[in-house]
Amino acid sequence: MQGSAAKIGYDYEPKPVSKGARKLRRLRREKELWIIAAIALAWVLVFAYAPMYGIIYSFFEYYPGMTLAESKFVGLKHYKDFFSLPDVWLIIRNTLVISTLGLTIGFVSPIILALLINEIRVRWFKRTIQTISYLPHFVSWIVVASIIFTLLGSEGFVNDVLLKLGWIERPLTILGEGSYFWALLTSANIWKGVGWSSIIYISAIAGVDQELYQAGAVDGLGRFGMAWHITLPGIRPTVLLLFILGIGSLLNAGFEQQLLLGTPKTREYHEVIDTYVYRYGIQMGRYSFATAVGFMSSVLGLFLVLLTNRISKKLTDMSII
Amino acid sequence: MHQTYIKNSLGGRIFDFFNITFMLVFAFVMLYPFWNQLVVSFNEGIDTARGGLYFWPRKFTLDNYLYMFNNSNLGRGAIISVLRVVVGTATTLFCSGLLAYVTTVRWFSGRRFLRIVFLITLYFGGGLVPTFLLYSKLGLLDTFTVYWLPGLFNAYYMLLIASYMYNLPDSLAESARIDGCGELSIYLRIIAPLCAPVFAAVAVFSAVGHWNSWFDVILYNSSGKWDTLQVYLRKILLDVEQISKLQNEQKQMAEMRNLTPLSVRAATTMIVTIPIIFTYPFFQRYFISGITIGAVKE
Repeated sequence: MQGSAAKIGYDYEPKPVSKGARKLRRLRREKELWIIAAIALAWVLVFAYAPMYGIIYSFFEYYPGMTLAESKFVGLKHYKDFFSLPDVWLIIRNTLVISTLGLTIGFVSPIILALLINEIRVRWFKRTIQTISYLPHFVSWIVVASIIFTLLGSEGFVNDVLLKLGWIERPLTILGEGSYFWALLTSANIWKGVGWSSIIYISAIAGVDQELYQAGAVDGLGRFGMAWHITLPGIRPTVLLLFILGIGSLLNAGFEQQLLLGTPKTREYHEVIDTYVYRYGIQMGRYSFATAVGFMSSVLGLFLVLLTNRISKKLTDMSII
Repeated sequence: MHQTYIKNSLGGRIFDFFNITFMLVFAFVMLYPFWNQLVVSFNEGIDTARGGLYFWPRKFTLDNYLYMFNNSNLGRGAIISVLRVVVGTATTLFCSGLLAYVTTVRWFSGRRFLRIVFLITLYFGGGLVPTFLLYSKLGLLDTFTVYWLPGLFNAYYMLLIASYMYNLPDSLAESARIDGCGELSIYLRIIAPLCAPVFAAVAVFSAVGHWNSWFDVILYNSSGKWDTLQVYLRKILLDVEQISKLQNEQKQMAEMRNLTPLSVRAATTMIVTIPIIFTYPFFQRYFISGITIGAVKE
C-alpha cells in the first residue's frame, strides 16, 4: 500500500510504518507457522545437517570417545590412503559394472514389459499380470535372498530341473561362485524391480494422445506400426528422463543385495563402494577412513546428479531439481 | 484404447498368442519362487533335502511353523515389526504432511527457505558413518526411537504431499483462518482429509519400507534388543551361530528331527511375506497414484 502511495506522488505518508514494525506484524501473523517450521528446522538440523558436519572427522584421526579437539588432524591422509589400497580399482569396477548392467538390461526390461502389457487386450488379464508383476517389489531383500538360496541351492528347484533335463551332470554351485555373481545380482534386481519400474511407463503410455492412434489407423498403421511410430515416440521423454536420472545414480549400485547374497568367496565381484564403507566404517571401526570414502562417493554422486539434471533440462525440458 | 481402432490381422493374432504365452511364463517366474517357498515350508525338512519338490508338499507337516511359533523370540519380533510400522508410518505421515502444509501456505514468508532446506537433504547427506556416530552420541543406539525419529520429516514425502496440496483452493484454508481457526487444526481438519489419496500413497510407501527394513536394525540395534521379524529371518539365513544352534537343538530333541535350517527358514520367510501378499493388491490404486505424482514432481 505504501509503495503505491509513494509512486503516485504523495509528498508524505500519513502514518509511516517502520520496516521493523511491518516485519513484526507479519511475524505475528505467521507465528504459528514459524513455530511448526522451527520444530521441523530443529529436526532437520540434527538429523540431516549434523551428519554433514560429521564429515569433518574424515580429516582427523578420530576414535570413538574422543572429542574432535583431542583427535589428530591428518588433512587428506584418508583420501590418499583410499587410492593407494590394492582394493580400490576392484571396488570401483564392481560398482560401475553392476550399475551399468542395471542401466542397460535393467533399464530396457521394464520398457519392454510395459509395451507388452499394453498390448494385452483382455482387461482382467492385463490387470492381473500387472498386479502380479509388483509383488516382488514389496518384499524385502532378505525374503528375496532366502528364496534365492532355496531355489538355487544344490538341491533346489533350478538344479533339480536342469539335472532332470540332462543339461548338467552335477548340481551347479551358483551361489558363492564369483563368476556368476553379476549375472545373479542383475537377474535378482530385474526380478524384484521390473514390474514396479514398468508402472511409470504404463502410465506414460496411457497419456499418449488417443487421436494419434485414430490418425494412425486412418493412415493404415498396424499394431506394430502404432507401437513403433506412436507409442514409443510418445514415451520418449519419460524414457530419456529416467535414463538420465539413472546415470545420476551410477555410483549407487545397491548394497542390501550384496550384503545378503555375497559371500567371502564372491567378494572380488560383489564389494561396491557402499558395502566397503560399511565394512571398514562400522564393522572394523575405521570411522575417519570410511567417512572419507563415503564423502568422496557422495560428492561425486551429487556432481553426477547435477550434471545429468542440466543435460535433462536441455534435452527434454524436464528436470528434477 | 487404440486397439479398438484396428482390425486384428493374422500377424496380430500370432503376436497375441506369443504375448499371452510370454505373460503366463512371466507370471510363473514372478509367483513360483513364492509358491516353492510355501511348499518347502509345509514339507518335512529331511524330505525336502532329497530334492524333487515342485508344486505340492510331499510329506506335509506343520512342524516348521510350530518351531517358529514356539520360539518366543519370533512373537516378540512380530510385535516390534508391527509397532514399528504403525508408529513409524503414523508419525512420518503427520509430520511430513504438516511440513508440506506449511510450505504450501502461499503468504508464509519462510516457505521457500523451509522447502529448500529439506530439498537439499534429498541430494546430499552425511553418509553412513557420521550418521552412525551421531546416533550413538544422541543415545539412539539400541532404542526403539531410532526406528521412527530419524524418519519423522521426510523430504520426498513432503514433495509428494505438497504437490497434491498445491491443487487445493486457497479459499478453504483462508475462510477457516478468518473464522479464527489455528494452523494446526486447519491442517488436521480441513487440508489433511482432502489429501486422503496422497496420504494413502505415502502410508503404503512408508509402511512397506518399515516392514521390510532390516539394515538399520542390524546397524543401530546390534544388541538385538529390538530385533524385527526381518532380522530374525536374516539370522536364520546367514548367521552361522544361529544355524548351528538350530542344528544342535535338532539333534537333541526327537520332535525336531525332521527340521532343517532350510525348512525353518522357508516357514519364517512365509510368515514375513504373507502379510504383504495379502494386503498389497488392495493398495494398488494408491501406490500407483503416488508414483505418478512423484514422476511429475515439479
